[in-house]
Amino acid sequence: MALTLVSADDIRLSPRGIQALVTDQRSDEAHLVQGVVDRDEAALESIYRAYGGAVKSLARRVLSDSTLAEDVVQDVFVTFWNSPGKFDATRGSLRTYLLTIAHRRAVDVVRSEVARTRREENTPPPGPGLDLESEIWQRSQSEIVRNAVAQLGEDERRAISLAYFSGMTYVEVAKTLEEPEGTVKSRIRSGMRKLSDVLGEVAP
Amino acid sequence: MLDLAPLYALDALEGPELAGFEAHLATCGECLSILDVYRGAAANLVHDATASEDTWAQISAAISDNDAGGVAMPAPSRRSDPWRWVAGLAAAAALLLAGVLVTQLTRGSQLTDRGIVASAARAADEPGAISGDFLVDDMTVAQVVLASDGRGFVIPTEDLATLDPARTYQLWVINDTEDVISAGVLGPDPEPATFTWAGAVSGFALTRESAGGVVSSAGDVVAVLTDF
Repeated sequence: MALTLVSADDIRLSPRGIQALVTDQRSDEAHLVQGVVDRDEAALESIYRAYGGAVKSLARRVLSDSTLAEDVVQDVFVTFWNSPGKFDATRGSLRTYLLTIAHRRAVDVVRSEVARTRREENTPPPGPGLDLESEIWQRSQSEIVRNAVAQLGEDERRAISLAYFSGMTYVEVAKTLEEPEGTVKSRIRSGMRKLSDVLGEVAP
Repeated sequence: MLDLAPLYALDALEGPELAGFEAHLATCGECLSILDVYRGAAANLVHDATASEDTWAQISAAISDNDAGGVAMPAPSRRSDPWRWVAGLAAAAALLLAGVLVTQLTRGSQLTDRGIVASAARAADEPGAISGDFLVDDMTVAQVVLASDGRGFVIPTEDLATLDPARTYQLWVINDTEDVISAGVLGPDPEPATFTWAGAVSGFALTRESAGGVVSSAGDVVAVLTDF
C-alpha cells in the first residue's frame, strides 16, 4: 500500500479539506504501521519511500556530513522496524515521529566530540553573517509553511534555524549570535509559538 | 516549565535544564501535549525529498539480518518504562539492540592500560560523571565511567571471560529515549579502553557479537547497567 503525501497544492484546500486529507493520511499510516508490527517489510518500504527523503534531508542538514546522515537514516528506520509500538498516532503524525527520532539522533552525533571535529573540518561554523536560514526557508515546499515562516521576525528565524538545522543548544545559538542567552530563549519561544499556531496540527 | 517545551522540541536544551524538563514531562500532560504541537511545527519545516534506493537496500539487509537472528519485539507502548525491556536483557536470548556506529574502542594510543585506569578513576570523581559496574552473578566483569564532557572509559576485570577469536564484546549506550546505540567493540579479550559519547545516557549494555561488531545485535547480552 502506497502512502500518499499531502502536497503543497493540496494545502490550498479549505480547512475541512485539509482535515480530510490529514485524516486519510493518518488512516494510511495506521495501516502501514500495523504492517510493520506484523513484520511486513513492504510496509516499512512504503514508509521509507514516503519519509526517508525528509529524514535524510534533516540529518544531512544537522550533520553537514552525508555519510553520518546515511547512518542516521538507517538507524531511524531499523529502530522503527524493531519498535513500531513506540509510535503513538494520537500524539502526531508518523512523519513527525520519524523526524523527531532523526533529529535527536543527529544531535547526539553532532554533539559528540568526534563529529564536532569532523564538522568543523568540513564546514565553517555558522555565524551571524551566514545566510543559512534564508536557504532553508526558501526550500520549504508548501505555501502554508512559507506563510507561517513569513510571520517570523528575522531574529526568530535565525535562532530557530541554528537550533533546529544546526543542532545547537540555545546556549550555543546565543554564543554564535553574540546575544544574551535569555534573549535567544525568548526568540525561540516566540517564534515556535507563531509556527505552532499554523503548523502544529497540519501535515506538510 | 511550559516555556521550555519549544526549546526541548528543537533539542536545544542540555544539562540540568534538559534533565529537569524531562523529569517534569513524565508527570505533566499539558507540557507533553504542547510539546507534540511544537514537534509537529518543527517537522513541517523539513522539506521532503526522494529517498535513496541504496539506503533502502541497506535498511532491508539490516532488518533481514536482525530477523534471521530471531528478534523479539518490545511490547508496544509509547510511554513505556525505559527499563521494562532492558531489565529483561540478561535473561532474554532474543532481544534486539540497534545502533548507529560500530567502532573499535581506542586502546593505548596515548595511554597505557594503567593510564586509562587512572584516567577513568579521575574522571569518575569529576562533577557530573556517571559510573557503574557490569555485573554477572554478582561479580563485576567491567566498569564504565562517562565524564560530563563525553570521555568514556571501559575497564574490564579478570572475571570477564575471554571469547573465541571469532567473537567480540561490544558496548552499547542507552539514551534517554530508550534507543540503544553502539559505543564500540572491545575485542574478544578486552582490556581498558576509551570511548566518546555526548548526550543523555540512561544505561549501558555489554553484548557478545561476531568479530568486528554489529550495527544491530541479536541480543547475546552479557550484562546491563542502569544503576549509576
